Amino acid sequence: MKKKLMGIILAGMLVIMVLSGCASQAAGNTSSREELVFVNYRDIRDLNPHLYAGEMYAQEMLYDTLVEITENGYEPVLAQSWEISDDGKVYTFKIRPGVTFSDGEVCDAHAIKANFDAIIKNKERHTWLEMMNLLVSVEAPDAETFVISLSEPYYPMLTELGVTRPFAMISPKAMKDGSTKDGVNGYIGTGPYVLTDFVIDEYAVFEANENYWGEQPAIKTIRVKVIPDNQTRIMALEKGEIDLIFGKNMIDAEAINKYTSSEDFSVELSEPTSTRQIVLNTTNAILNDKTVRQALSHATDKQSISDGVFHGLEKPADTLFAITVPYCNINLEAYAFDMEQAATMLETAGWKLGSDGIREKDGQKMALTLLYNSDSVTEQTISEYLQGEYGKLGVALAIKGEEEQSYRDNMKAGHFDLVFNICWGIPYDPQSSLSGMRRPVYGDYAAQLGLTDKAEIDQKIGQILVSTDETKRQELYTDVLTRLHEDAVYIPITYECNKALFTSELKGVEFAQSQYEVPFTSMYFE
Amino acid sequence: MKNYIAKRILTTIPLLLCITFICFVFINLIPSDPAEVALRIRQTPVITDEAIQAVRLELGLDDPFLLRYLNWLGDSLHFDFGVSYTNPSRTVLGEIARCLPATLQLAGASLLIVILLSLPIGFFCAVYKDSWFDRLVRGLVFMTTAMPAYWVGLLLIWLVSIRWNLLPTSGAGSWQHLVLPAFTVALTYISTYIRLIRNNMLENMKEDYVLYAQARGLRQGTILVKHVLKNSLQTCIVAIGMSIPQLIAGTIVVENVFAWPGLGKLCITSIFNRDYPVIQTYVLMIGTLFILFNLIFDIVQALADPRLRREAE
Repeated sequence: MKKKLMGIILAGMLVIMVLSGCASQAAGNTSSREELVFVNYRDIRDLNPHLYAGEMYAQEMLYDTLVEITENGYEPVLAQSWEISDDGKVYTFKIRPGVTFSDGEVCDAHAIKANFDAIIKNKERHTWLEMMNLLVSVEAPDAETFVISLSEPYYPMLTELGVTRPFAMISPKAMKDGSTKDGVNGYIGTGPYVLTDFVIDEYAVFEANENYWGEQPAIKTIRVKVIPDNQTRIMALEKGEIDLIFGKNMIDAEAINKYTSSEDFSVELSEPTSTRQIVLNTTNAILNDKTVRQALSHATDKQSISDGVFHGLEKPADTLFAITVPYCNINLEAYAFDMEQAATMLETAGWKLGSDGIREKDGQKMALTLLYNSDSVTEQTISEYLQGEYGKLGVALAIKGEEEQSYRDNMKAGHFDLVFNICWGIPYDPQSSLSGMRRPVYGDYAAQLGLTDKAEIDQKIGQILVSTDETKRQELYTDVLTRLHEDAVYIPITYECNKALFTSELKGVEFAQSQYEVPFTSMYFE
Repeated sequence: MKNYIAKRILTTIPLLLCITFICFVFINLIPSDPAEVALRIRQTPVITDEAIQAVRLELGLDDPFLLRYLNWLGDSLHFDFGVSYTNPSRTVLGEIARCLPATLQLAGASLLIVILLSLPIGFFCAVYKDSWFDRLVRGLVFMTTAMPAYWVGLLLIWLVSIRWNLLPTSGAGSWQHLVLPAFTVALTYISTYIRLIRNNMLENMKEDYVLYAQARGLRQGTILVKHVLKNSLQTCIVAIGMSIPQLIAGTIVVENVFAWPGLGKLCITSIFNRDYPVIQTYVLMIGTLFILFNLIFDIVQALADPRLRREAE
């Protein structure tokens, strides 16, 4: 009886082991090197190019915009060339001839006009782009000419046309009665790839678009798997089930470090994409004093955070925007880490050390709270570190982690003394980020309310956006950024960057200007 | 018996209403505005008041709280559970229907593993009490109960998929994909059931009927299997009955580790995204399952044990 049962169990286990062994071997041999397996933490979702519900890397694969933002400025895509009127209000685009959508429809100026019409029908969704508020008309006088007229000059116009959405072109046949706001009939674009297969929350398959107007990509098939867990993703890469992990938050510093000297896997890091920062609420009674804010800046050891938390992968940040961001290379002097100076500054500001080691002024203790997103392990680690560091200075820093959505609510409402934030990053920096500071949408607005020159800063930001003269614009940027820097509203911590971890057979892994784009077209296998 | 069943079914209705209402109240107590969260999830760079208003209108969030609950309730009677807030192109029913099979598959496979492993192991532990086998199993049971599923899952991927190269690390699609997540889910239950079976058997072995059977000259094997084991399984059947909805509801962590496209993953995402209709429907479904299985196994038990049947009548 007992022997029989054991026998059955053993036989069963043997069968399973043999079968699974065969199966996994078979799977290992079929991967063709024209197919790349990519991974994302979530599904591609709704790829309607005129809405915001889809994954941007996938939208970039399927659709094209009129122009593209590159390191060297704007490059032509669907628009072959363009002219801007002297008053900066009229943009005339020559449309690239012979481009068709993957369903065979012609992508001429009329098709582009149809796309703009569909986008304008849903205008209130897009007013975060300043140009939507300035738009007067769009016209297609003939099949090769497309004209946009604005009520005022607006210098970041081409940038806004070049970001992934909403100004990406879908086949007019895929629209529902000329509209896209209530969904589309298919994800039909002019981009280098087409979507051929898709199972929600499992995978999506993209194949090279045979009718693509540009150069055919070397990788013909891109399979995107959904793996939500960080650790599982890395193990899937180790096993060879996926070829590429790409993104800002898809891989932690620990893992990158482990693979930097590996032969089987390669690591690439991009230029800074965005800045991790702590925003100080100037309406807070303690932080309203500029000297106190500057003292806290001096008391923040970014180098240690960069080394200790990010293993040096994220470089210490000196200013709100990295100097690689347009208009931001303006020689601002960083607040050097200097505890003694910080202590002296606090003394000058009237904050004297109390008997309990905490500074006091007029009977008030120097007690502040730092709010962070509890979903982020790094923010928690940095918060704990700063709690210790500021404590040495006599600042009682309480730290409070909240779940992402309520953290954002608190930020918007200004319910914080100090709060972690990450700026939008390229290509939205600096113009859209600064523009956003004027509205009560993010923590920036609430934090800056206590500044005496807040109105002036906002007014200058407005002037930047409509300026037509390059020198004048740089002057205005320099002025606004210098004020914000000297007011010490922000403590920049580190520069985030895009990270790629991939099998060493994969070559040509680069980074695009848009941080959300994964440049598959330049990749190939060796 | 029929009256008993009818009565039990009728009492479930107010219970379900209570569950959904409490759930609705609690979700609404969370301060974030679902319209704004939906916009954040859609990665809208600047969330303007105009955009929030447009989404509120689209999702019907401007209606008063009670009206929204009643609307949802009324529609659910026709199996119309509304659309997902974060992705209005998907209906809640469609989302549940899409995720349910994967979770049922996972729960079913786990249950099978639990039964196949815990029954013989528990049996032999009791029979050979305090032998090296019993000690080893008890040690293992003690350890596995203490290990979090997330960690076990990752260890298994590392060992089975990477070191031994036997099974895929994650995803769904074939039976190979099912093995590791099912085993991870099963592990906690296996420990529980081994202990349960072992203890029940040991209790039963002390009973007088075992002594009589031995006196009648029955073979030891027959006594153990036909009498002791059968009597010990009574409580296990009820426990397994309640484990089924628990298995369906409790795969959340494992589904995330193994990228298994089931209900647990859907539920977690919906909670973080403040996707009220999805959470509501999920709670309603799981609540119904618990009540249903409770009922079924009460009946089964009543059928199996004449004493309970008489009590019920």
